[in-house]
Amino acid sequence: MSLTLFEGSEAIAEAAIAAGLRFYAGYPMSPATELLEHLARKLPASGGTCINAATEIEGVNMAMGAAAAGFRAATGSCGQGLALMQEAIAESALNETPLVVFNMARNQQDYFQATRGGGWGDYRTIALAPKDLPEAVELTQLAFHLADLYRVPVIVLGDNLLARTQVSVDVGRRDFGPLPPKDWQLDGTSGGSGKSRQIWTWGAGKHNTPGPGPSVHWARIAEKFDRIAETEMRWEEGFVEDAETVVVAFGTGGKFVEHVVHDLRGQGHRIGFFRPVTLWPFPGEALERATANARRVLVFELNAGQMIDDVRLNVRDRRIVRPIGGVSFDSSGLNLGPLMDATVIRQRILDTLEGATL
Amino acid sequence: MELFISGIGGQGVQLAGKVLALAAVAEGRHVMLSGDYGGHMRGGSSVGTVVVGPGPLRALPVLPSAGSAIAMHNQYWENVGGRLRPGSLILAEASIAPALPGMEGHRLVQVPATAIATEMGARMAAGMVLLGAYAAMTGIVAVDSLVAAMKEQIPVYRRQHIEANERAIRAGADALPALGAPFDLDGAPLREAV
Repeated sequence: MSLTLFEGSEAIAEAAIAAGLRFYAGYPMSPATELLEHLARKLPASGGTCINAATEIEGVNMAMGAAAAGFRAATGSCGQGLALMQEAIAESALNETPLVVFNMARNQQDYFQATRGGGWGDYRTIALAPKDLPEAVELTQLAFHLADLYRVPVIVLGDNLLARTQVSVDVGRRDFGPLPPKDWQLDGTSGGSGKSRQIWTWGAGKHNTPGPGPSVHWARIAEKFDRIAETEMRWEEGFVEDAETVVVAFGTGGKFVEHVVHDLRGQGHRIGFFRPVTLWPFPGEALERATANARRVLVFELNAGQMIDDVRLNVRDRRIVRPIGGVSFDSSGLNLGPLMDATVIRQRILDTLEGATL
Repeated sequence: MELFISGIGGQGVQLAGKVLALAAVAEGRHVMLSGDYGGHMRGGSSVGTVVVGPGPLRALPVLPSAGSAIAMHNQYWENVGGRLRPGSLILAEASIAPALPGMEGHRLVQVPATAIATEMGARMAAGMVLLGAYAAMTGIVAVDSLVAAMKEQIPVYRRQHIEANERAIRAGADALPALGAPFDLDGAPLREAV
């Protein structure tokens, strides 16, 4: 293993290139700008193309075009930018182009955006939320693999701490196993030749070779997402077997909670942690098992309450679920705020254990 | 081991953190480095955090506590002072050390870094003097590794500063043993698992 000290954005750029990224069209917004900058420097040198798109909508559609031609392609911005990309992300799901979308978020307020989306139709997006940079390197490469495996959009959800903290990591290529051939990729053969291919959200096909039509096409895609939901759940948990209290958190917040829970365990508290790695598919059955004997389930997220919906859906009694996070920004509004602090999290957990109100 | 480097923008806090981090990576250690500084180039708060360990790190990007610190200025010291565990090693620029509050229970070592750097005609290299002294006192990295990392990190258009920086790092290391006995970072009380 070869360790190199990288800023988070640079390590993610390196990991994407190691995974075979050939085309990136992103839109710069803090804290996603550095990812675009690093790819602008590195991607052309490895034979790829990087474009600073004029708008987010252009960026995501350019990336979808490159993906339709069979290249590993990605776009990215912060959550505000992804808001504008929602239609194209839905199209990518429904026309089955493997597209990776990076959200270097300003906070944890994009959980709904990542897991529910804002496009039209029966679609889902796999959403991977790394807790730190070594995991982000893994999940970035996994994102391209899953996108190709299922022909779906995959979101990698980070934040400013992930993007800017420097960590020694190994960005070398990971192998996730074989993939089906891209026998669907557009190859430039024009219409009228009898050999052209078509990627179309409605599945209508061509005049002489009709497709299944929208109803059958969309039902098949819905079945595909059901399959993904059953097979691609990922999570991390600790100390849950005898835990009276289980704390649920995602992304960077999950790492902070894990740290605090280790600490409290050392002091004799019967407490455990649970972190969904895939926000969608949400590892609901695993959470149900992890909280089967818990008297309380605490949810730490830096927003007004988003993931807590998924937690309530997956515990035996939703009345034992309580939020211990909240909206928390720094003064610029561009970065995680003072709640993302081990001392604060520890105190909020202890307050709950003692029955005090927050 | 965890280290806070605290000072004001323009003193080279972030450079010092990066040089130590690169030196540790070059020696095969796992490293986390984070910088917290204001939007302005000079005059604002600047804190660097370096964590070094033998294996994958559990350390948080916002470090709740540390066992050592380098104080380059007393202004903004409150950003890190309250997060030091009892018995921490604090290497402080000698001219501001008396102004640091809350030194009780810590091991404070005053390094005349600015005086040493000024004497060699490179006043801006005081941070490198402190870094050299920190490495020598803790043994966290070899002084030669610091010098090599500094050379790697200085941009092309500032190559003229390399020689002075190297002398500053070595002068800081040479300031021991007059400054005191080695400090055992691993033996520091309440050490966090990293």
